[in-house]
This record gives sequence, structure tokens and C-alpha cells, in this order.
Amino acid sequence: MNQVFNTQNSKPKTNTNKRELLFTFQSIIVTALLAFTAIAFFYYNDLAILKGIKVIFAPFLSVVPLLFILSILRDLRNGFKEGNYTKQEIIKFGIITIGITVVFTGITYLLSQIGALEILLAAIIAILSAVFFLRAKIKDILGMSIITGIAEGIIIYMIFLF
Amino acid sequence: MKLKQVNIAFLVTTGVSVLVFIYLVFLGYDEIKTFKDVIKIVASILFPIPLLFFVRFILIEHFMPTNTDAYKQKNKKPATLLLIGAFVISLLSMQLIEFLTQQQLENNLIFAHLINSTTISSYVLNFILYNNLKVNGILSGVLLSLAVHVFFLSV
Repeated sequence: MNQVFNTQNSKPKTNTNKRELLFTFQSIIVTALLAFTAIAFFYYNDLAILKGIKVIFAPFLSVVPLLFILSILRDLRNGFKEGNYTKQEIIKFGIITIGITVVFTGITYLLSQIGALEILLAAIIAILSAVFFLRAKIKDILGMSIITGIAEGIIIYMIFLF
Repeated sequence: MKLKQVNIAFLVTTGVSVLVFIYLVFLGYDEIKTFKDVIKIVASILFPIPLLFFVRFILIEHFMPTNTDAYKQKNKKPATLLLIGAFVISLLSMQLIEFLTQQQLENNLIFAHLINSTTISSYVLNFILYNNLKVNGILSGVLLSLAVHVFFLSV
């Protein structure tokens, strides 16, 4: 048991690195949840492919702009803070997270109304691109609260409304 | 030696909650009929994880506090009181909600899963990172009351 806990200490020491690690984990979770949503809606709503060619082009719709933006934009935020956040910041970003959660519960509801697989795929990949954009450029508590909101919105929709 | 004792307590509590978890899964085995139920249960188990990452992200300080004897001595009494308080309050509130809505918790397994998985995750997080004995008391009380409720008080 002690060994299990001691592996914790071999992680990067500074708080900035820890925050970065948590942010990475969070974005992996969101990616998994989005894939989960796609699979769930695909099987549950019996989606059909209306036009096969559209499935191939669905990802390009959002991946191409993403790559372009990523290549021309510099980092938008200063990165993670080393120290603590003040109480005011915590309240502010908590409210942002709750807001994004509500918005994403609605967006997931809209996704569940989609009738064709290719449109669902395009929508999911668009959200995924947004997540990767946040992951790459807005490495900050703002990005973290948005990603958390997305994840919680999907989960809350799945639990209570699906 | 002290650390060892705490670890045993940790193992026992986690073991109890995992047991409740397995029991809930078997209890709901007949309920799981469609793919939808599986999705709901998976979602309710996953629910606390992004929140915990977020909380950890904000409250990055106080990493691995020293679990000294003085700290334990000081927090022993309030932690025990909080344990009993949380136990009684959550047991009563669960009974009250069942009484008011005239529904059994077993019929709404999603909520049982939600309570269980949220409490386990926060317990593990608190134990590994903050080791706040008062929070430990509250969470143990909630877990215990859920276990008692599911095992003994539900007909």
C-alpha cells in the first residue's frame, strides 16, 4: 500500500506541472465521453447513413479550421499558475463551469435529436476540435472550467434526460 | 505504525463501498434490460470524476499533509461527532425521501450509484491528497448510512 502512495511523489513537483497533468486527464475524459455519446446515440437512435461520402468528409469540416487556427495563433493565456486561486476567482470559475454545464446539457439534447449519422459525427468532431483548441491554446483555469462543464453537461444529460 | 492503521481503515472503507457497489449492480441486474440502462449507470458512475479533477485543479495546495499525532488528537472528537452526525442525517433524509415519494431506492438505482460513486471518489481523493479528518468523518458517515440503508433498512 505504501508503495502505491509513494508513486504519487514521483510525479512532477511543481504545481504548474500538476495542473497541466490534471488538464490533460480532463481532456482525455472529455474525449472518451464524446466518443461514448456518439456510440450511445448511434445505437440507441438507430441512425442510418444517408450519404456515405459525407461520412468521410465530416471530420474535415472542423479539423481543417482547427489546424489552421492552431498554426497561426500564439498562446492566448499565460499558462497555469503556480500558487493558489483567490476566493473570488474560484467563485467566478465555478459559476462559469455551472453555466457551461447547463449549456452542454442543452447541446447534448440537440445532438440526440440529430437523425443522420454523418451530421452527428460532424457535430461530435466539431466539439472535439473545440476541446483540442482549449487544450492547446487556452491552458488556463478558464479552459479547465470549460472542459469540466462539457464533461458534466454530457453526463447530466445521460443520467437524467436520456 | 500510525500510517498502517490509517491504511487499514482506508482499505476497509473502500472495501465496504465496493461491496455496496457490487450489491447494487446485482440488485439492478434484472432492471438492466436495455442499452439505455447501461449508459445511465456508466454515466452515474463517471459523474464525480471530472468534478474531482476540477476541484483538485483549483485546490492544488495542501499536498500530502503530515498526519501527525497532534493533528489526530485535535481532530479526533470533531471527526467522530461529524461521522455520527452525517450518518444519522443522511440515513434520516434517505428514509424521509423514500417516505415522501413512496418509492424505494432500489427502484431508482441511478441515485444509489450516484451517491455511492461520488462518496467513494471524494473519499479516495481526500484520503490520498488532503487527509482532512473532519471531511473523512462526514464521508464515512454518508457511506455507512448508504450501506446500512441498502442492506438492513430496505424491505
